[in-house]
Amino acid sequence: MHEYAVVDELITSLLPRLETIPGEVSAVFVRKGELRILSDRALENAFELLSRGTRLESARLVVESVAAVVGCAACSYEGASTYYGDEGGHFAIPVLACPRCGAAVSVVCGRELYVDRVAIKDDVPPSGGVQ
Amino acid sequence: MHDVRFKGEDILGRQLELAEANYKKLREHGIRSVSVLGAIGSGKTTLIERAIVRLQGEGLRVGTIAADSAGDDDHRRFLAKGACSVNINTQDDCHLDAHTVDHALDDLPLGELDVLFVENVGNLICPADFPLGTEREIVVISVTEGDDMVRKHPKIFAQTDLVVVNKVDLAAAVGVDPQRLVADYAAINPHGKIVLTEAKGGRGVDEVLALLGFPCTNTQW
Repeated sequence: MHEYAVVDELITSLLPRLETIPGEVSAVFVRKGELRILSDRALENAFELLSRGTRLESARLVVESVAAVVGCAACSYEGASTYYGDEGGHFAIPVLACPRCGAAVSVVCGRELYVDRVAIKDDVPPSGGVQ
Repeated sequence: MHDVRFKGEDILGRQLELAEANYKKLREHGIRSVSVLGAIGSGKTTLIERAIVRLQGEGLRVGTIAADSAGDDDHRRFLAKGACSVNINTQDDCHLDAHTVDHALDDLPLGELDVLFVENVGNLICPADFPLGTEREIVVISVTEGDDMVRKHPKIFAQTDLVVVNKVDLAAAVGVDPQRLVADYAAINPHGKIVLTEAKGGRGVDEVLALLGFPCTNTQW
């Protein structure tokens, strides 16, 4: 449900940034940290609905996941976290404890949510480029 | 086809800025603030009611922001306990956001408060991505929702450093072992604190308040 509020912010903030960029936007690539509690499918559905009537109408939203990276102040570890999941393998979420020494960690990556890039259709293929 | 890259500005950047502004505003007034998230009917309001009485007994002035999709039931309960309260109806929105809290702060006498509780809409998923700007955050669940609540919402518990399991007096009646919730939480969040409470009778409330940085010395309830 809250994905609509997120996508509304996404479109509102992205449209002005596209004003100086000509061409048809065919895709919007969002990078989402794996600690964010957002459904990819709900984001895509919200984008399809909320982009109607805007320049992003014919674009599709592509959500790319960013793995968690944790930092430990106690032993200076920085890298991948360990994961906790159930026996059936239905979920695996980063554990916010140092994989090396067990201390509490800070999240270096894994909470981000940003537009990384957009794909623009070119009217004329770039010279020398292979399409 | 070509790609245009952007600097990685958070999509919810505007919300984060507003949350930061709320945080600063509360700090400038010397107010210590706590967001209370949790499932519908888990006892968030009762816990806050108890906290109001307890902290007033310590000589602290307590304010509340009561958010529900409709009505002012919680707001009236807080007023009855002597808190300074603002009511918010989010209507069809499933969470509070920093912008709404900012407006609510305008309606509170910030110069006359020491502590602020913000009770979010009953929902364990949506509020997590919308920081409000409070100093602390707690998540309240209760045994009546079942002993698999932590496993069913692992992401929120992985990122919550203080969890309250309420209504433990009903655990036997509903056939729930609270220790399963404790064990699941310890596996998901090894450094988090979890407190078993019976907020209606006041059990465990002092422990929650102490973990929030409000040690209660008054022995009178």
